[in-house]
Amino acid sequence: MKVIGKMEMKGFGFGVWALVMDDGTTYELKNYPPELEEEGIKVEVEGKIRDDVMTMAMIGKVLEVESFKKL
Amino acid sequence: MKRLMLLCLFILGLGFALFNFKGLAQQGEFDSIILDFKEEVPIATISEEIKQLSSKYNQQVHLNSIFSISDRVYIVEGDKKTLKELRRSPLKEDTEYIEANYLYHALEVPNDPEYSKQWNFRNINVEKAWDETKGEGITVAVIDTGVSKVPDLKLTKFVKGYDFVNDKDDAGDDQGHGTHVAGTIAQSTNNGYGVAGIAYKANIMPLKVLAASGGGTIADIAESIKFAADNGADVINMSLGGGGASSMMEEAIKYAHDKGVVIIAAAGNENRNSSSYPARYPDVISVSAIDSAGAKAPYSNFGAGVDISAPGGSEAGKIIQNTVNPRTGESVFAGFQGTSMAAPHVAGVAALVRSTGIDNPDEVRDILKQSSRKVQEDHLNHFGSGNLDAGAAVELALKGKITFNDFFRWLRKSGYLNLGFWIDGGAVALLPKLGMVLGSYLLAWFLRNYLPMMTLGLNGGLIFGSSGLFFLQGLYWFDLPQWPMRLAGSSIPELGSVVLGNSSLNPLFASVLIPFGLIILLMGNPSLKWFAIGSSIGVAACLGITAFTDPNVWLLGTGTFAQGYLLVNAFLCLGLAFLASQKEMLQT
Repeated sequence: MKVIGKMEMKGFGFGVWALVMDDGTTYELKNYPPELEEEGIKVEVEGKIRDDVMTMAMIGKVLEVESFKKL
Repeated sequence: MKRLMLLCLFILGLGFALFNFKGLAQQGEFDSIILDFKEEVPIATISEEIKQLSSKYNQQVHLNSIFSISDRVYIVEGDKKTLKELRRSPLKEDTEYIEANYLYHALEVPNDPEYSKQWNFRNINVEKAWDETKGEGITVAVIDTGVSKVPDLKLTKFVKGYDFVNDKDDAGDDQGHGTHVAGTIAQSTNNGYGVAGIAYKANIMPLKVLAASGGGTIADIAESIKFAADNGADVINMSLGGGGASSMMEEAIKYAHDKGVVIIAAAGNENRNSSSYPARYPDVISVSAIDSAGAKAPYSNFGAGVDISAPGGSEAGKIIQNTVNPRTGESVFAGFQGTSMAAPHVAGVAALVRSTGIDNPDEVRDILKQSSRKVQEDHLNHFGSGNLDAGAAVELALKGKITFNDFFRWLRKSGYLNLGFWIDGGAVALLPKLGMVLGSYLLAWFLRNYLPMMTLGLNGGLIFGSSGLFFLQGLYWFDLPQWPMRLAGSSIPELGSVVLGNSSLNPLFASVLIPFGLIILLMGNPSLKWFAIGSSIGVAACLGITAFTDPNVWLLGTGTFAQGYLLVNAFLCLGLAFLASQKEMLQT
């Protein structure tokens, strides 16, 4: 699936990177490249939802990044 | 023959239990005994008896203080044996009472220098619980990113764990989350260093299922739950969540629960109406988070499935424990927030409760919930049964005053396990609601000469006007908004406050306006008009009862003014129904 949103660091534990859509839907990113670790950048991420993964952050569905594009 | 055997065994067991029962009075500590002499006993007799006592026990029997002269209260040093002897002696005749002089001590405050920053521990009233137990002999499995032996966990006891991510015995932490969680449960306490933990004499079983990224698979988590159950864990804490329903996970949870393990999980940090998995499984205690002011933490999930709330902190005040910094690998005292931090508070208190001898996980859950501090006005189920209270939980566990309500347990279990909904029995104040329904029927009975009592329209109106289908208000469906339930469960006067989820009445809705509008609109219809008339009577009952039980009207406050407003409108509604029904009778 394709998700467009902004990169945000969420304050759980020592910090977690999230992709937040305009409507507020939040995805916790998995296996993302370090280039995405930048607060506020808008990106289009192609990836798949991992329903078999649980996390300590619990901020939303886990999106495993396959490719991305900075917008 | 078999029955006779069973009967004998039962009587034997009962006798054994009674023989071993220790009354509450025998549980306190004392090293002296109080004697209170009767007023009518002459001073000379008392002096003689005190003299004899002093020589018999080879000690100076003395007045408790100079204020005891007129009360004739004397103190004898002694133990249980002395107490028994004195009670059997002839002194019994001359005294009002002979009783143990129980020792009271101030609540225990640990010497950890940063303890003053742990607002969360005072919030859960843990000092009172420490007076009774520190979790001795209990093992808490921390299913997380692993646990590292940081300096402030040095004196904490560890039992064998496992790293399911890297398949090895050493379950050290490369992320920092699990060590923090373990700290809340059992940080080394009274060691003159760092901060405190709740059940600091309990054992920690470190189980690593989340990788350094903070994520892990359901398969690893399910296996770790079984590992914990098979290796002697009494309590499991899972400060993790997400993903979907999984049979493997559900089966593992059932396995551990059946083995007597108390399972606790975080409700999740999405600020949405529903606990995440695994917290939402029925055998798991789901914990939502509050901030340092006691309000729902902004991120905390709520609603369906939430059992209890505990401190999770917020930007304004975080939860401080010793952990490892994943970047440097060094020990650090870090402030974290999240339902991840709230769950281990409950796990720690569950360990305290278990160490008092409560083994059944359902009983532990009931104690935690019943002893929690109830939160008034919790229409969206932010807090479950209320705020965690360690002191009250341990006190309740020791009293053994659990009332089992099997029906509600059945409802809870079969309800949200099979049907996908969850019931909060405390969401609706039942008595006023029943009063409103009965009141509306009573009013209708007064007007019975003018009303067709058995019509569907009238009855529908009476219910809709007075209370609505109020039991629906306590019903939460997983993953669905709850306001439709509140809407269907609301009476006409409550409709104005449905979507906001607060309990103050909207003055436009809690008035004669809607019944008046309904009567004007429906008067021409031969069956619907009875619905309008019934509604008017129902609203009269609702407003009348609310005026006395909970007069809380938006913009008008909660005082006499609001009460007067409700009463005037109640009379107007009743008058309106009366006039409308009169007109009706004249027409027919």
